[in-house]
Amino acid sequence: MLTRRHLIAAGAAGAMTSLIGRAQADTTKLTFCSWGGALSDLEKSALLDPFGKTRGFEVVAASPTNYAKLKAMVESGQPEWDLVDVGGRFIWQGADLLETLDMSLIPNAKALDPSWVAPKGIFTSTGATVVAWNTKAFPEGKGPKSWKDFWDVKNFPGPRGLYKPFYYNYEAALLAAGTPHADIYPVTEDKVKLAMDKIRELKPNVKVWWTAGAQPPQLLSTGELAMSSAWSGRVLAIIKENAPVAMTYEDGIAWGNAWVIPKGTPNAKLVMEAINYAISPEAQARLLDLGTYGPVLADAAAKGTPEQRKFIVTAPENIKNMLILNEEQAALYSAKYENDWNRMQLE
Amino acid sequence: MNAAGRQRAMRVAVAALLLTPAMAIIALGFVAPLIRLAILSFSSPAGPLAAYRELATVDVYRVVLRNTLVLALVVSVASLAIGFALSLALMRLEAGWRAIVFACVVLPLWISVLVRTFSWMLILERNGPLNRFLAALGIVDQPLPLLFAFPGVAIGMVHVLLPYAILPIYAALSRIDPALLRASGGLGASRVTTFRRVLLPLSARGLATAATFTFLLSLGFFVTPALLGGPSDTTISMLIDSFVNERLDWPLAAAASMTLLAMALAVIGLAGRFVPVSALSEVG
Repeated sequence: MLTRRHLIAAGAAGAMTSLIGRAQADTTKLTFCSWGGALSDLEKSALLDPFGKTRGFEVVAASPTNYAKLKAMVESGQPEWDLVDVGGRFIWQGADLLETLDMSLIPNAKALDPSWVAPKGIFTSTGATVVAWNTKAFPEGKGPKSWKDFWDVKNFPGPRGLYKPFYYNYEAALLAAGTPHADIYPVTEDKVKLAMDKIRELKPNVKVWWTAGAQPPQLLSTGELAMSSAWSGRVLAIIKENAPVAMTYEDGIAWGNAWVIPKGTPNAKLVMEAINYAISPEAQARLLDLGTYGPVLADAAAKGTPEQRKFIVTAPENIKNMLILNEEQAALYSAKYENDWNRMQLE
Repeated sequence: MNAAGRQRAMRVAVAALLLTPAMAIIALGFVAPLIRLAILSFSSPAGPLAAYRELATVDVYRVVLRNTLVLALVVSVASLAIGFALSLALMRLEAGWRAIVFACVVLPLWISVLVRTFSWMLILERNGPLNRFLAALGIVDQPLPLLFAFPGVAIGMVHVLLPYAILPIYAALSRIDPALLRASGGLGASRVTTFRRVLLPLSARGLATAATFTFLLSLGFFVTPALLGGPSDTTISMLIDSFVNERLDWPLAAAASMTLLAMALAVIGLAGRFVPVSALSEVG
């Protein structure tokens, strides 16, 4: 017989399940947060959706990535995001907020170059911070070819743009100072001082310290800037729209788009399997056709047509002239020298 | 209890009832989070006062604080000067024209600050219309560095703050009896003397209100300096943003917010010595 007490008990149980519902795995839905734009579309359609279809879950996209939100979610114990694309250095800066990857669920990682795999994050596609310029300021064949040229305001006059934090600028300045690729890391006091001095030297010509990836291509195409550091995928996307902008991979600073799992997500196991799929030869090959951010898997990059390989960071003919960004070292210098960097900016 | 006493008790009860929803919203939506923020500012892992100590000792933060104050001062003085001139002009216009100019002053308040700031980016560009106009007139031969520099930030902020200066000044001016100005002239005072000894003292309250409004609002500006400024135009709110989103150091962000709040309260306290707080509500 159904008594009032039964009803109350049933109601309480119902409320309990709905309260703890999020703590149990909901395997029909996986929320993926990335930076938006072309990158989010590419990651969802090429690296995640096909796996979701075979495994019967839906990939829900969120954007943009915000570290403060991620921290708040993890600290509340109920992360809404199951998988997040972060700047590589966040794998180390945000280590306390991230799940450790169970590599037995990600066997495909063995096929990647070790620099793309970390205990709490895996890089799934590649791009680079490159020298880009306005083609009216420097016509074809007369463009800069290195960070040395970027610093050479006599032969390449015009306003410059650089990224606002120390990130990328440490590497670019040392490359401009002639430091060989092999000696950029580890970070030392002397190298930091050399980099800061080098940036101080160029500073009067730096008109914009950009903060969003969309800024450099925009400011270069209007002529507000003659030359800027920029993220390769953004530049390649605007070149496709016939904007008067060009770039070179020579002397570029190569990096990957890192995927991490917020601590406490109930779907961690499924997400690790999804990461394993994203770096599989099948998924990585899809990045070739898109022509913006390339594969991390060298075997997939090698299968590109000559036309495609021009845009792929990991193609041997491109990567040999580039520096691979060490995100762990970048996390270190970003935090340790933040006040020195800000002081220099205010000078 | 007599009839008058009952009536007064009734009035108090109704007033209390009418106030309850607003007070509840302020308590839950403003006071409670503010207390949490204050607690957070003292909960740095390095010790209760560590965040405040860091703010006080790192020279970068002091420079940013000073820049913020200088920017707020420049912007409020400019807004006040332009606002006063425009209010005087408004007084002299015929009713029809006055309505049109007034609409031009108030309408921008309905457009998002972000949209207006982006518009300024287009206008102030190196090859933008303003620089082309100045070059065509032969005033400059090199494009002026307006965007991503102090002038850009100041122009953008004055544009946003102008209505907050004009409304209280215009309200004060419109309360002045025109006969007083005529009398001053009739008694032989020059225009300058009339302005200095009659118009200015009588509108002082409106000016003080406008100054308080513009200064307080400009202390907390974020979008305009972030988009139109260069690295040396960093304001305290941009610093707070980087503490929250980049460094993930929330106690430090909370301490910086409390410092900004203390500065705002100090300004209100200072303004209160010249104008009663109730006068701040005399807008429009």
